[in-house]
Amino acid sequence: MRRLLSVLTRVLLTLLSHYRRHIAQTLFLAIGLVTGVGLWSAVQIINDHARASYSEADQLLGAQASHWVRARDGAGIDPADYIALRRDGFTQLYPILETRLAVNDEPLWLIATDLLALPRSESPLGASGGDWPSLVQPPYQTWYPPDLAADFGIGPGDTLMLDDGRQLPPAALQQQPQQGRRLFMDIGAALAVLQRDHFSYLGVGELSSAETDRLRRALPNHLQLVDNRQRLDLTQLTASLHSHLTAMSLLAFAVGLFIVFNAVRFALHLRRPTLHTLRELGASSRMLSVAVLLEALVWSALGTLGGLAAGRALATLLLPPVASSLQSLYGAVVGTDIQLGWARILLAWGITLVGLLLALAWPLWREAQQNIRQARSASDDWAADRQARRWLALFGLLLAVAALMLHSRMSTVTQGFVVLGLSLFAAAFVLPVWLASALRLVERCLPEPAWKLRWALRDAWAQLPQVRVAMMALLLALTANLGVETLVGSFRSALTIWLDQRLAADLYIQDDSLRLAAFTDHGAAPWLVASHQRNGVQIRWSGRPTLIRGLNTNAPDSRALPLADANEHLQDWFDGDNDWVLANEQVHHLAGVELGDRVQVDTAQGPQAFRIAGFFHDYGSPYFQLYLPYATVERLWPNASPEGLALWLSDAPDAEQQAESALLAAGAQPGDWLNQNTIKRVSLRIFDRTFAITTAMNGLTLSVAGIALLAALLALHQQRLSHYAHWRALGVRYREWLLIVALPLALLVALTGLAALPLGALLSSLLVHDLNVHAFGWTMPLQWQWPPALRLAALTAAVLGLTLLISLWQVRRRLPLALKQLGEDDA
Amino acid sequence: MLELTDVHKHFQQADGAVRVLDGLSTSLAPGRSAALLGESGSGKSTLLHLIAGLDSADSGRIVLDGTDTSAFKDADWAAWRRDKLSLIFQNYHLVPTLTVADNLALQARLAGRFDGDFYDHLVARLGLSDLLKRLPHQLSGGQQQRVAIGRALLHRPALVLADEPTGNLDERSSAAVMALLTELVREAGASLLMVTHSPAMAAHLDERWQLTNGRLETAA
Ligand SMILES: Nc1ncnc2c1ncn2[C@@H]1O[C@H](COP(=O)(O)OP(=O)(O)OP(=O)(O)O)[C@@H](O)[C@H]1O
Ligand SMILES: [Mg+2]
Repeated sequence: MRRLLSVLTRVLLTLLSHYRRHIAQTLFLAIGLVTGVGLWSAVQIINDHARASYSEADQLLGAQASHWVRARDGAGIDPADYIALRRDGFTQLYPILETRLAVNDEPLWLIATDLLALPRSESPLGASGGDWPSLVQPPYQTWYPPDLAADFGIGPGDTLMLDDGRQLPPAALQQQPQQGRRLFMDIGAALAVLQRDHFSYLGVGELSSAETDRLRRALPNHLQLVDNRQRLDLTQLTASLHSHLTAMSLLAFAVGLFIVFNAVRFALHLRRPTLHTLRELGASSRMLSVAVLLEALVWSALGTLGGLAAGRALATLLLPPVASSLQSLYGAVVGTDIQLGWARILLAWGITLVGLLLALAWPLWREAQQNIRQARSASDDWAADRQARRWLALFGLLLAVAALMLHSRMSTVTQGFVVLGLSLFAAAFVLPVWLASALRLVERCLPEPAWKLRWALRDAWAQLPQVRVAMMALLLALTANLGVETLVGSFRSALTIWLDQRLAADLYIQDDSLRLAAFTDHGAAPWLVASHQRNGVQIRWSGRPTLIRGLNTNAPDSRALPLADANEHLQDWFDGDNDWVLANEQVHHLAGVELGDRVQVDTAQGPQAFRIAGFFHDYGSPYFQLYLPYATVERLWPNASPEGLALWLSDAPDAEQQAESALLAAGAQPGDWLNQNTIKRVSLRIFDRTFAITTAMNGLTLSVAGIALLAALLALHQQRLSHYAHWRALGVRYREWLLIVALPLALLVALTGLAALPLGALLSSLLVHDLNVHAFGWTMPLQWQWPPALRLAALTAAVLGLTLLISLWQVRRRLPLALKQLGEDDA
Repeated sequence: MLELTDVHKHFQQADGAVRVLDGLSTSLAPGRSAALLGESGSGKSTLLHLIAGLDSADSGRIVLDGTDTSAFKDADWAAWRRDKLSLIFQNYHLVPTLTVADNLALQARLAGRFDGDFYDHLVARLGLSDLLKRLPHQLSGGQQQRVAIGRALLHRPALVLADEPTGNLDERSSAAVMALLTELVREAGASLLMVTHSPAMAAHLDERWQLTNGRLETAA
């Protein structure tokens, strides 16, 4: 047993010594593993982290309450009401001020409370050593989570200037889990600094149901008790986003595996003599297999460690934008402190090992099939290649059939991603056959090309077996890039058009307590053309948070509502008919409601039914939305609160100034209103940030494919070095060599790119027409855009050029030795 | 005219330096052929490599057609081999992706000296007319070596260097290939230096050079 072990160790060490002698190859194997695992784990870390944040949402200040007390009219809580309630003995109540600020158009969230009022049962924010006296006394303090401070370039003692000119108190850096990615201030300080006189709402600590009832009864009429369901809702609302990210990371991982596959195959190939020698020295083939498996184990451990480190670093880079868009889109507060759990590490290791074993199994099996002494000629290689191509294509076709079958009955996001993955891999597996057929076609179509061109074309056949896997990786990367670019581009242009239509008004007033009459003379002023006051209430319908909105159906923006579909009763809705409702597309796609269908919702007067007159586009919203006439909402939901006010200003040059002075005169604060351009700019910025991670992943996937190509080329050239030496002995110049090697490669890459075009279109169509609808419940027109495709082509050409230059340099460096050895293999 | 003067070459090996060529001098007149004989490891291949510039001598002069090659750079050598030399190896080394026709014409085209009439003549003499469209792996060893011979002669080199060109062939085809080689080299007006172990093969050639202890003994 001990002897066996020592022999095994010797065999393993002999096998591993190969990597010391072939540094480049070792590097590629490592890069493949590390990037693959890194990209995958980065996204896993981000997803985990966000999900953990949702389930720890109750830890967060403001979200930790079981209930909230809110004003029915959305105006916020008068401190006097709060004091009265606390005097009544409701010491579980604590005041919260939550607001969104803007610095350089970047959204920034602030939360404030009274630390002394927080119930003991709540996690004690600030118990970890915050400086309470400085917090509550002028000049006060603003607590920043360190990463947020870093983002805004804030150090301790610095004061942050807001876009509206106000200044926040000096900064202190505090890592408080309950704070999330938000600024924290004492509530008294916040009221003073922000010049507010109302809290946003009151949090309610742990209460028995009897006490809850007592509180409900004790609340004055204009206040109401609301259940906190934030955590549940967040998990549901963000699920699709996370599966999108996961799918992208799996793709990157797969592309990384292609490199590993190539590297491992080549490493085994180069070590064939070593394997034979070991076998001749008495190592059984089983022992060799065990040794190779052990080698895989070593590599997987190294790859996992490196990959996780890389993934962590990448996640740290990508998390802030993701956290910020989660907050903008879903109101989810995500901290940016990254944790790496054991389960994650083990999973990464397991998945790497499986990938490596997959990469090893095929070449090992091939190796076992081959006779040790059998000389291999070019024709053997070609025959093997042809056979491999056929097997791959057959497998690819099977995958394609599976994808088609699944597509016809696809109903969930996960199924959608499976279809997507199947189609992508089907295409990758069929690629070699496509390349071979296209090559043959090209050869046939060029009747009698010049001899150099002919030679170059013919050389493609010698390269094909080696670069096959790299081309498959490239196809995946190109397709993913094209598909996702098209998705993002379509989304962006749809969003831009939609914003232009939706945000037709000039000014949007966010202070919900501000009524039009308060700052115009009974709603009329010379600078005002039209106004639109909406109200709304959030309910649950069809198992999802749903916004009921009351609109003035005659307001300019109601008239111009971008509709996806409508029936002849749309006019009835415009006329204010109580029977008809407009719903967002999400209601159609996610709840399966059709035009003319009856939907029943809970109102204060009991269940009430409406019929669907139309569906409007509502890009990016995770909620269901139902639009009813303002008066209807007011009547059926007395607790509905005003939801902002939109103003259309006259053409007068100073209309905006006049409007603003009227607002200030009415007691509004700067920052309580936004103009159209700011909202559009901020919306598009949120959009861009949301897709920044997508772009980053795409770029990384493409670089991984580029590395795969480089690795394959270097391996190819190393294998063919003796051929090149013979060419050189015939007098081939380096530029001729470059032509003969580069032209077919460029052709293969071009053919791969050509295949990626329809595939990318297919992918984007799947993403836009199927996945997006299943995941998010809304549709948009697919817009094929050439600039990204051209950019991608240029990028690919650059990658190709670079890899060719590197291989030229390599070959020039090695050729002298190969020339000296010319004819030596003949003996 | 090939002239070698006081050529030295040693290799560094684990057990010390091996002096392979030790002051070797000789010459070969245009159109003449010589067999290079010697024990295994005596340095025959090394000498061919030096003449073709695949490796460089420690010292000494190698002059072909009046040009001293000792100062040649890598690019000079490539051009030199393309124009003046041919190499024939035991394993033929045809380009596997090219047809027989393209393989035949390869070096002449690289040298920019393709001669259609000579091509037709060589094809006929080498008996390759029916095989022109085939790929190398579809040929027998003897056929492949005939293609290699044609490739080596079509551009009318000054010197053909052959390293055991018939080593892989059976006796009958060896004799046939040898006969063709010597005849066609003469027709092309080239000199021939051929490594061989076989006295029978050596008998086809004008001179026999024996390599021992790093020097040549010439036998008529
Ligand atoms: N690159 C090298 N490095 C070290 N030693 C070398 C190298 N090339 C050749 N030698 C040594 O030089 C000597 C001559 O080798 P060469 O190949 O010229 O012999 P040869 O006469 O062609 O033999 P054979 O008839 O077996 O082909 C041998 O001892 C060989 O080991
Ligand atoms: Mg030799």
